[in-house]
Amino acid sequence: MRQAGTYSGILSGGISGRTGPHSLPLARIKKIMKKSGEDVKMISGEAPIVFSKACELFIKELTQRSWMVTMQGKRRTLNKEDVTSAVVATDIFDFLVNLVSEDSGNTVDATPLEMDTFTSSS
Amino acid sequence: MTDKIGIDSDREDHSYSFAGAGGVSGEDGIVKEQDQLLPIANVGRIMKQILPPNAKISKEAKETMQECVSEFISFVTGEASDKCHKEKRKTVNGDDICWALATLGFDNYAEQLKRYLHRYRDQEGERVNQNRAGNHEEKQETSNYRSELPRRSAVPSNPLKFNAIDRSSSLSRPF
Repeated sequence: MRQAGTYSGILSGGISGRTGPHSLPLARIKKIMKKSGEDVKMISGEAPIVFSKACELFIKELTQRSWMVTMQGKRRTLNKEDVTSAVVATDIFDFLVNLVSEDSGNTVDATPLEMDTFTSSS
Repeated sequence: MTDKIGIDSDREDHSYSFAGAGGVSGEDGIVKEQDQLLPIANVGRIMKQILPPNAKISKEAKETMQECVSEFISFVTGEASDKCHKEKRKTVNGDDICWALATLGFDNYAEQLKRYLHRYRDQEGERVNQNRAGNHEEKQETSNYRSELPRRSAVPSNPLKFNAIDRSSSLSRPF
């Protein structure tokens, strides 16, 4: 029997529609998971909850790395190109290289750049 | 809600299946796989959390981050799903996600998340047992009671505090 409340934030007593104790909407995470492949049929209730935390960690790491690029350019506004540079410079973000280069419309050299050699912002 | 083809409007909770409205500015109508994005407000908030207070984030950067997160979810889920498939399991669970993260190079995430997952499972175990007892009305007593006893069996070893209604029979009722 399905336990009520996993996605309605019952852990914190929140109302449905709110994300409860998690900073990202669990139902949306679940939708994205389902779209990832034909094989993905059943997802346990805890998986989106784990992802909610994992995505937080991911966003924070990518943001921090992007910010380093911003600072090197002596700017205070983190822009898209900074994110692109951070992706390219980080091995574990290789799976994002095509995504960020498609968006910008430019071909991005997939060879990881040394962060030190990045001197200009665009 | 009207269609907004080609207009990169607010990228909140639209679930279009064609490009342009799915948050990616591709005008040639190619369906992007990850046209589901997490809300930009949530993503922006998390980004702000680790930046200095005077830092600014461009809208484009937040949008790019949205796309990266969706791709991250797909990427990790795919790996977890493959594992389940190989092991002839139908359901992707939290452990599979942790495993996939470690496999794909996100070891530090995996470690933190394993702990997070175990804490969550402990909480859930308590909550399920509370529901099983059917004691929704007596929340106060139940919450005190719950923390003292391991409620794994249907019939507790100690008598219940509230004797006005004989609840012991309800405990052995299957959920």
